[in-house]
Amino acid sequence: MKEVVKKLTRYERARIVGARALQISMGAPTLIESNTTDPIDMALEELKKGVIPITIKRRGTPR
Amino acid sequence: MDLQETIKALKLPLNVKNDLFAELSPLQLSDDEIDEILETTKKVYERSRVEPCEAVGTIAAQSIGEPGTQMTMRTFHYAGVADINVTLGLPRLIEIVDARKVPDTPMMTIYLDVESATDRDKALQLAWEIEGTHVSDIADILADTDEMQIYLEFDDRALQQRKVDLDAVVTKLETLQDVDVRVDGSNIVLIPSVKRYRALLQIVEKAKAMVVKGIDDIKRVVVRKEREEYVLYTEGSSLKKVMVLEHIDATRTKTNNINEMAEVFGIEAARNSIIEEAMDTLREQGLTVDVRHIMLVADMMTLDGEVKQIGRHGIAGEKTSVLSRAAFEVTVNHLLDAAIRGETDELVGVTENVIVGQPILLGTGDVRLIARTGRE
Repeated sequence: MKEVVKKLTRYERARIVGARALQISMGAPTLIESNTTDPIDMALEELKKGVIPITIKRRGTPR
Repeated sequence: MDLQETIKALKLPLNVKNDLFAELSPLQLSDDEIDEILETTKKVYERSRVEPCEAVGTIAAQSIGEPGTQMTMRTFHYAGVADINVTLGLPRLIEIVDARKVPDTPMMTIYLDVESATDRDKALQLAWEIEGTHVSDIADILADTDEMQIYLEFDDRALQQRKVDLDAVVTKLETLQDVDVRVDGSNIVLIPSVKRYRALLQIVEKAKAMVVKGIDDIKRVVVRKEREEYVLYTEGSSLKKVMVLEHIDATRTKTNNINEMAEVFGIEAARNSIIEEAMDTLREQGLTVDVRHIMLVADMMTLDGEVKQIGRHGIAGEKTSVLSRAAFEVTVNHLLDAAIRGETDELVGVTENVIVGQPILLGTGDVRLIARTGRE
């Protein structure tokens, strides 16, 4: 399967951050060292570093 | 590098590229400056695009609906100086969206071809040719109840101005049934074969309504000078008959009747016409709505190759989903009919999923996550 590298849409971003923040809030081990205690901020930081173990499956054929 | 080549290589719509070239080519800019401009243009263009999963339909509906509340409920307005009465404001917008067969105030805009566009006489002549001339416009009609005759007294000035031939009028009048036509100098006498008062009055009415020259549906033609050329505006619309006339620029001549546009020029013209008419109506009221909302509406209306209205007899009524149709109007009937026919709802649309309480396929609801396992 070909991996399409494209910027995430704002909805995809929100969805990934949301899912990851939920995992963190329920006690999942964090993948980065962070000063914050807020799971959403932590998820955002993880997304920035690209370490979140979640991807998007897009339907259709993106350009 | 050549400016034209640079612009051509960009990933931008053709219109934007053309604009860019037209604006940039006369300026003497350094390569760095051009690069910066192109970079910014690209950035702005990217930002102006909608992202996938955006609820464009809902946003379009709101963006047209809100300004709609600010529009005047009943406006009858005059189109510029040309004092032709046209429906504007909310009634006009409703008319467009409802895809009425005939608008309240049909109107044509007729452009002339290159050689006659600046010629006032030709424009006026064409106007007289188009305007429907009735017998009552060029003659006084008197009914003599003693003699049981009808006298038509022709106005020479009107005849000359409209270039109407008296013989043509006589031939026209001879098509009337049970009437003997006699020419008496510049007057015409009609003698009905049935000597009855009612018959006489009926003939008067018929004679008055007879079209001697021009196009029946066109009540009035106004000639206006716009910039350098003369443009004809007509009250009433009959594109087909006007298109065949000489000295007319068929590429620009148009009507405000969208169905007529579709019939004469095809569905793409109808789409453009919807966009233009809706935008003009909104602009006239001082409201600015992004074209893309209107374009979406126009696309939905013309998608199937024929002009469909938005409401019950068009888009909303032809949806495949039972629940979606039921949510719109006459709920019980739709559900009952669907039950009788044994229809299935695939639950793919937004409305259906809202009704059954599922996440909708819009925005974050349309994003599917999968776990990323292993190292890449």
